[in-house]
Amino acid sequence: MIAETHRDEVAIQGGALPEILLPTNCPGCGIALVMDNLRAHNYVCTECGHHFRLGADVWISLIADNGSWQERWSDVRSHDLLNWTVPKPYQETVERLLEDGLNESVRTGTCTLSGRPIWLATFDFGFVGGTLSIVAGERLARGMEQAAASGIPYILVSASGGARMQEGVLALMQLAKVNAAVGRLHSARVPYFSILTDPTFGGTAASLALVADINIAEPGAAIGFTGPRVIKQATYADLPPGFQSAEFQLAHGQVDMVLPRTELRPLLAQLLEMYA
Amino acid sequence: MSVWEIVELARHQDRPYSLDYIRRLAPDFVELHGDRLSADDPALVGGVGTWHGRTTIFLGHQKGRSLKERVARNWGMMHPEGYRKALRLAHHAAKFGFPIVSLIDTPGAYPGAGAEERGIAAAIAHAIMDWFRIPVPIVAAVIGEGGSGGALGMGVADRVIMLENSIYSVASPEAAASIVWRDNTRKVEAAEQLQLTSREILAMGVVEEVVPEPQGSASADHDAAARSLDEALYRNLQPLLEQTATQLLQHRYDRFRYIDSLIQAEPHFGPKID
Repeated sequence: MIAETHRDEVAIQGGALPEILLPTNCPGCGIALVMDNLRAHNYVCTECGHHFRLGADVWISLIADNGSWQERWSDVRSHDLLNWTVPKPYQETVERLLEDGLNESVRTGTCTLSGRPIWLATFDFGFVGGTLSIVAGERLARGMEQAAASGIPYILVSASGGARMQEGVLALMQLAKVNAAVGRLHSARVPYFSILTDPTFGGTAASLALVADINIAEPGAAIGFTGPRVIKQATYADLPPGFQSAEFQLAHGQVDMVLPRTELRPLLAQLLEMYA
Repeated sequence: MSVWEIVELARHQDRPYSLDYIRRLAPDFVELHGDRLSADDPALVGGVGTWHGRTTIFLGHQKGRSLKERVARNWGMMHPEGYRKALRLAHHAAKFGFPIVSLIDTPGAYPGAGAEERGIAAAIAHAIMDWFRIPVPIVAAVIGEGGSGGALGMGVADRVIMLENSIYSVASPEAAASIVWRDNTRKVEAAEQLQLTSREILAMGVVEEVVPEPQGSASADHDAAARSLDEALYRNLQPLLEQTATQLLQHRYDRFRYIDSLIQAEPHFGPKID
């Protein structure tokens, strides 16, 4: 007899979430925000359901069982290969972000979710817009290769502006590098679940984020290839309200569901059991 | 020559486009149309022709010269249907064991609302992933503009070469300027920062070879440019013909998996895979 995972028995977060910077009022409905209430509610407004953007550290606490996170390859560092100098030196930007405690646009490692082992990778929009860089690609590809070899399910949380301009064509090549590795996951018949959060664009949308076995988008998240500013500059088109929203992508067949963050972890626990 | 002059050469309207090359490489070329789902993307031509005695699948971004033709070809900017057509023809090549030649010449995938509505991101993502499973030799050449994911969606190959005055970039200079500075008029500056010329791309280890162009660039002599491209593509194809499908796919994987190895070799890049 196999024990079934009942979604309502799975906690909505694996451990207490770190505090994040919040505005005094919700940008969705304007109510005054109370940190403790929001923290316990996965940083989703209890009034209007507005989903606040989360950094990699919060996502790890949210998804991983408390104390199970083992980060990998955190010492892989980026490198200013193009000597990018305007608007400011790229190396300076990266060093300042590292001092702020951020460690590149993707962090990866292993953990458990409801007791089941997983590989987890999460983008961090706070690090140069969550851009796909050489370091990000390397951490993703290494993790996927190990997941494929060991048969452990792979879970991705994306929040990314696309490929990192300051790393030039080598950033573009990361799309091929990571999608080759996604192919390994698929050939090895390892489950791959992708969670698309606000925003997921450009090279990240055009590589690993949309080719999972199950694509899950957060309500209201902006998801697309070309950003609205570039579309307007290129085509002078007026874009309708809701263009490139998660709901738009659901209607256009690109994601399997739009799921509130408070239901994410219980669903992942159920999926891990169904695909085990 | 300045970087921007090279960008202008790469985009020059007298420059040979994919069909100019394909018709010289394979005079018996038969164009094949459609993605078998909903449409035919005129920004990507595909078909079959005899090349050095071997039936070969040709794919290429196609730009137009007259205004009417440029509009019809959408300036070589593909919609999702184009990537789906390309992969249909790649599977066609795999069925018959034909090698594939892919010519890259695009500012990028089409940045418009219709492309978004029909899933351009997923179309490119699936194309990039599926190229790694096509068990026949693939040689690609950047012949003009290699812009962004729109180019890479056609650029996963066993060998990738570039014509001397072509460019390959994470984003077009205009898009990069728009992204970094929110100002697409700073395209010249962006082009200089991006290191998108063939020599720079070769130095980064992203392409195998830079193909010299005739005196005065490929625009000046289409026949001579086609001869150079033909020779380089065929020379790069030959060793691939001797590999088994398993070897091809493993080498293709490794080519992109370690494409940044020149950077990874830097001591502060971090540990090798354990």
